[in-house]
Amino acid sequence: MIEFIFPLFGRFHPILVHLPIGFLAFGIILVFLSKKGDSKHLDSIRLAFLLGAISAILSSISGFLQYQYEGFSWDSVQFHFYFGSGTALFSFWLFYEINKSNEIPPKFKLKAGILFALLLFTGHLGGNITHGETYLIEPLPAEMQNFLGYDTSEKKGLEIPENGWEELAYYEDVVQPILNQNCASCHNTRNKKGELDLSSYNSLLEGGEDGFILTSGSPEDSPLFSRLVLPKEDEDHMPPKEKRQMHKEEIELIQRWIALGGNTESKLGDANIETELLEPFIKREEIPFYSTASVNPVSKDDLNTLKDEGFFAEPVSEQSNWIMISCINFPSFSDSDWQKLNSVKDQLAFLDLSRTQITDQSLDQIAGFPNLTVLKLNESDISGSGLETLLKNENLKNLYLNKTQVTLEQLESLQDHPSLEKVFAFDTPAAENDKSKEFSFHLEKGNYLLPKLATDTIVF
Amino acid sequence: MKHLDKLFQELSQQQLEKKTRRHFLMDCVSKMGGLALAPLMFGCGLESKPKGLELSQRDLNPLAPLPPPFRGKAKSIIYLHMAGAPSQLELFDYKPELAKYHNQPCPESLLEGRTFAFIRGVPNLLGPQANFTQKGESGAWVSDFLPHFSQVIDDVAFLKAVHTDQFNHGPAQLFMQTGSPRLGRPSLGSWVTYGLGTENQNLPGFVVLTSGGKTPDAGKSVWGSGFLPSVYQGVQCRSKGDPVLYLQDPDGMSRDMKKNLISAINDVNKEEFNQYGDPEILARINQYEMAYRMQIEVPEVMDINDEPEYIHELYGTQPGKESFANNCLLARKLVEKGVRVVQLYDWGWDSHGTDHDGSIDMGLRNKCREIDRPMTALLLDLKQRGLLEDTLVVWGGEFGRTPMQENREGKQQSFLGRDHHGDAFTMWMAGGGVKKGASYGITDDFGFSGVDERVSVHDIHATILHLMGFDHEQFTYDFQGRPFRLTDVEGELIRKIIA
Repeated sequence: MIEFIFPLFGRFHPILVHLPIGFLAFGIILVFLSKKGDSKHLDSIRLAFLLGAISAILSSISGFLQYQYEGFSWDSVQFHFYFGSGTALFSFWLFYEINKSNEIPPKFKLKAGILFALLLFTGHLGGNITHGETYLIEPLPAEMQNFLGYDTSEKKGLEIPENGWEELAYYEDVVQPILNQNCASCHNTRNKKGELDLSSYNSLLEGGEDGFILTSGSPEDSPLFSRLVLPKEDEDHMPPKEKRQMHKEEIELIQRWIALGGNTESKLGDANIETELLEPFIKREEIPFYSTASVNPVSKDDLNTLKDEGFFAEPVSEQSNWIMISCINFPSFSDSDWQKLNSVKDQLAFLDLSRTQITDQSLDQIAGFPNLTVLKLNESDISGSGLETLLKNENLKNLYLNKTQVTLEQLESLQDHPSLEKVFAFDTPAAENDKSKEFSFHLEKGNYLLPKLATDTIVF
Repeated sequence: MKHLDKLFQELSQQQLEKKTRRHFLMDCVSKMGGLALAPLMFGCGLESKPKGLELSQRDLNPLAPLPPPFRGKAKSIIYLHMAGAPSQLELFDYKPELAKYHNQPCPESLLEGRTFAFIRGVPNLLGPQANFTQKGESGAWVSDFLPHFSQVIDDVAFLKAVHTDQFNHGPAQLFMQTGSPRLGRPSLGSWVTYGLGTENQNLPGFVVLTSGGKTPDAGKSVWGSGFLPSVYQGVQCRSKGDPVLYLQDPDGMSRDMKKNLISAINDVNKEEFNQYGDPEILARINQYEMAYRMQIEVPEVMDINDEPEYIHELYGTQPGKESFANNCLLARKLVEKGVRVVQLYDWGWDSHGTDHDGSIDMGLRNKCREIDRPMTALLLDLKQRGLLEDTLVVWGGEFGRTPMQENREGKQQSFLGRDHHGDAFTMWMAGGGVKKGASYGITDDFGFSGVDERVSVHDIHATILHLMGFDHEQFTYDFQGRPFRLTDVEGELIRKIIA
């Protein structure tokens, strides 16, 4: 019956440890305050060392009990225990020395200093156990951490390459990363909640305090899977409901692995996995929309000058140096206004000149923007002659020519443009031309109609 | 003269009222301190500066455009909200199994532990009242209630297992539009306008148009700005008569006179601002200037008469009428002119079966006919102008409807109807950054609950913000001591519908 006392006392360790720190530190301060032959603090020092020593012994005992009952590995606590007990014994010795003497004994200040160092070091080791060894390192700037030899790269979850994933080792490359991301913070070599360590295949096989967690070929009988799919409210549900929950694809990958045999030999390709299941983890290189060339950012002053001229002028995004310019508030923009855009010659990626006064003369100017990707010339006086100069815009992807006078023949001059993907020519002579012609880009002629249906007029 | 004295008296009274105890104490401290310090500082540089917060460019022009944190795939949103909640079971979610159990009592398992708005006891199941066919290359199921729309489904991504936890119109609409079923949060459109500003300085950034005879049950809060500065709320425009009330100058007032009037008022306001430093005063100054600029551009953009005849035929518009078709055409015109968010509400989708208009087999068909051609036309028109490249179109209601026939007060009804249901319903998105022809979400055989790929309202908001160039977890506004997000503490991107 009385057995619960031990684990309970063990759990008081984190509180108890502060007593010796306080008592002994106070005693040590008094020692250093005392001058030679000065004995007025002697009684206080004796009391502080006695109380400090007793509480240090109690701390050591409670600490040992906590190690016994809470699933800490000996490796992780041993030095903390040695130094803690050492502190307790050393403080008893110092108490003994000062108790029998009528003044501060010789070299006592040195010994008190050593005790203080012991106290600090023991406390630090204890802190490492509860908060993790990197607790004091984490707040440091990344460069300083790297200098001290710590890896600052973020702990990534499961990542799967787009091609060749069939050859990945199912356990090592798939299951272990999932466990690392979702389970390892509580189930690792140092911190074994429920006596379970999921940091490697071997330790996983050992199971936890309720026994084995893996039954080969049978996910339902393997707590490694079955506890993941319990209702969130169930107290056996893992991860605990206040923690980040696993994605359903991650759970399914674990289920499939166990069903496949739960060993380290099988490959991801052995499990007949649909690509959809891997979709969330597939690392794709997104093809950037704008040019990959690197350009200097446009200065704030230049941008403000453009805004004062009446342009809408903003970077494409906060992180981008590409600039978007629109004349939506500047309809009087004409062929003679081009020099205003000189400051963004290289950075201009999106240009909207719809409903402005420009004519075909401006096409030559446009050819001088090497990174232009989107060009809108809707409802302008562009007639389309000289359109071939846009062949020089080797990054142009989308060209808008709606409601201009451009013809199909003129568009042919853009055939085999190096980058052009889409041309919008709604409501132009080109769109009215019925001749079907294959282009190297998608030509949107529009003119969609929705034929009348009988149901359009029936009222029920 | 007496009159003028009275005005001065009123003004000084007002001035006094604005002087709170706090101002008084602050003045005492700074002036007494100043007196004491003046000789020490040789009386230099103690000019008064506007008090309060440091001002940014945004305070002077709250709608000034800002770049998004990431490259947004869409620049504008057109959100079509069907107020009242259309039945997914008659439009997109094809359930042949449900037809087999038509008119049979609903299994207990579906009713256990659930509350419905009107259904009491054990209702009968109601089979789909529409005929479904697979359309397009994507093979998506669409019913014959939407014959025109079925031609453009390859441009659309469906979300078929959306769920909400609200089953009454007001809270559900608030949830869908503001991310919270209770009042006080900014609407989606306000967030986006706050984050991106607007391109066209002569038009509001966020325009609201309503049709169907009524505005949404939740009132104007569904396009409200909540705790964001009030300039970001939606501007409701009328599609009939003057688009914005009192925007036209009264008879006898010339534009020059108006300009003088506004600059005089603004001078007074600037004076006021120099004294109190309240940024809301700047917002007011800006509103006056904006209203003056809007006087030219708004009537122009809100006039659909100058659209060519084939466009009217495409949309089925009739100028001068308040209709969803007119609003769709206006939405295209507004987006073309650089408006950031256009929010359409169409009322009349609450098909309970209590009357002819609210019946699933008749009233709903009539409602569908009102939106079928316009929304299809909107997609086609955006597409042919290339606007669909960077405009996101969203369609949906505030929840879905039950697979059961409604039995209000436990009685059989004379029309076929379905009750409110939030466990599974369909929405769709198209345009900027949305994967064409995608379908995400699977519901059970009765269309009662989502069984796979369910998405919450927060997930939809997260996805919309992503397409506009925001990380929904980083996009916050500090209010009452903590940063707020549109998605609060939830929301996951629906990656499978992102191109």
